[in-house]
Amino acid sequence: MKERLLSIINEIRGNNNQSAIAELRPEMSLRTDIGFDSLSLAALTVMIEDEFDVDVFEDGIVDSIEQILKKLE
Amino acid sequence: MGLFWIDEGRGITKSYVDVIQDLNQMTGSSGYIYTEDPYRVQAEILYSLASGQEAILLDSDFSVQELQSIGVDYPLTQIRKTENQSLRIGSWEELLGRIEEKKSTWRLSIYTSGTTGRPKKVVHTLDSLTRNVKVSEKFSDNVWAYAYNSTHIAGVQVLFQAFYNRNPMVYVFSSSDIYQELVKYEVTHISATPTFYRMVLPTLPAKVTTVRGATFGGEKFDPSLTGKIAQVFPNAKIRNIYASTEIGSLFTSDGDAFVIPKSLWDKVRFSEDEELLVHKDLLPQSSDFSLKDDWYYTGDIIESIGDGRFKFVSRKSEMINIGGYKVNPHEVEEAIKRVSGVKDAIVKPRINNITGNILMAEIVRGGSLEDKELKAIILQELNASLQSWKVPRIIKFVESIDQTRTGKKVRS
Repeated sequence: MKERLLSIINEIRGNNNQSAIAELRPEMSLRTDIGFDSLSLAALTVMIEDEFDVDVFEDGIVDSIEQILKKLE
Repeated sequence: MGLFWIDEGRGITKSYVDVIQDLNQMTGSSGYIYTEDPYRVQAEILYSLASGQEAILLDSDFSVQELQSIGVDYPLTQIRKTENQSLRIGSWEELLGRIEEKKSTWRLSIYTSGTTGRPKKVVHTLDSLTRNVKVSEKFSDNVWAYAYNSTHIAGVQVLFQAFYNRNPMVYVFSSSDIYQELVKYEVTHISATPTFYRMVLPTLPAKVTTVRGATFGGEKFDPSLTGKIAQVFPNAKIRNIYASTEIGSLFTSDGDAFVIPKSLWDKVRFSEDEELLVHKDLLPQSSDFSLKDDWYYTGDIIESIGDGRFKFVSRKSEMINIGGYKVNPHEVEEAIKRVSGVKDAIVKPRINNITGNILMAEIVRGGSLEDKELKAIILQELNASLQSWKVPRIIKFVESIDQTRTGKKVRS
């Protein structure tokens, strides 16, 4: 699951002309560490929904990788 | 006299005395306001107002093609200043007096996304821009967080609300540490788009108790956001505003319903199919409005709940609202179809809880390129010709695009 999330994140980073990241750490922040703006976060939530059928931003605002993984469990 | 503008990112702090000095040093205007420095935008607006000269506020996000499509030569440095007029103002009171004297000839033109792809010009007067500005001694200690692009109408409205009450504005739109600035300057009021709140709220490490008013507008009302704002700003009265570049701000909300003030009851009505109509008396001057019997059809479908109250239901037009930015899907489709190797494309909204919508493009290939390669070329070309929110974030390759019997693409 973590690998699939990394691949989605890197696909979005690739679309933004940002380099791929090698690994995800639980404490990483989507905004400050991964460098996602609102449009990238929106793309992330839609792509996760398509893949896992879970809307991670549905009932609150998540920011860390750990929070996303918890929602996908 | 107190502070006028604080922009920590750019290292700019200006008091009301400073801004008057800066205005006195300005000796003319090109008629266009187009700068990335938000303080400069405020100063240029006030200068044009105090000198009674019309000004055109150009969106700092406009691409060169968009500037050209509205007849603006780029780069703007080639435009020479035509007037030579020094204000020689001594105080804020004197500035107010000068504005009062000159306001009848002043106009501020703002562009909004048009349905044909070409930005639409809307000409505002001071009255149409300050319709909802409240001035009172009790607002004299207000401190505003300025959380909009300064070349958009919502930013201009914050300027006037703050300026007329001689309040400071703290520019937080591109701030890296908003919490620190809200606390340091004891911000009492903030107005922002829902997207801005969704991005910023989770980064705030603690509650900000000084904030007494939090307003949001520009997108569909989101009840879950109200709860989140209330957690972070526990002392804030939260309001939603019905506003657009076309008509300025008209109504504020009471819960999830908008309230039409009694004074406007004869100027606002609902069509048979529940579209919100606004009488031309409430509109700014604009040659681009299409009216039917003196009524402007807003394209907003509402549900009337009586007593001059209504709820927003949906947009009638195909314009897609992405975090407060309206996008015409046809414009994006045309840009995609200009890429060689693309046969056809459709752009649709995808709903999400961050920006309301983002764009998804379904593309029919016309050449032999691999999906990955073609996608990279499409994104490269779109990023060069469109603003970031107009670039589809989800791209899918499909065999064909569904059409209705009349040949219209099925967009949803």
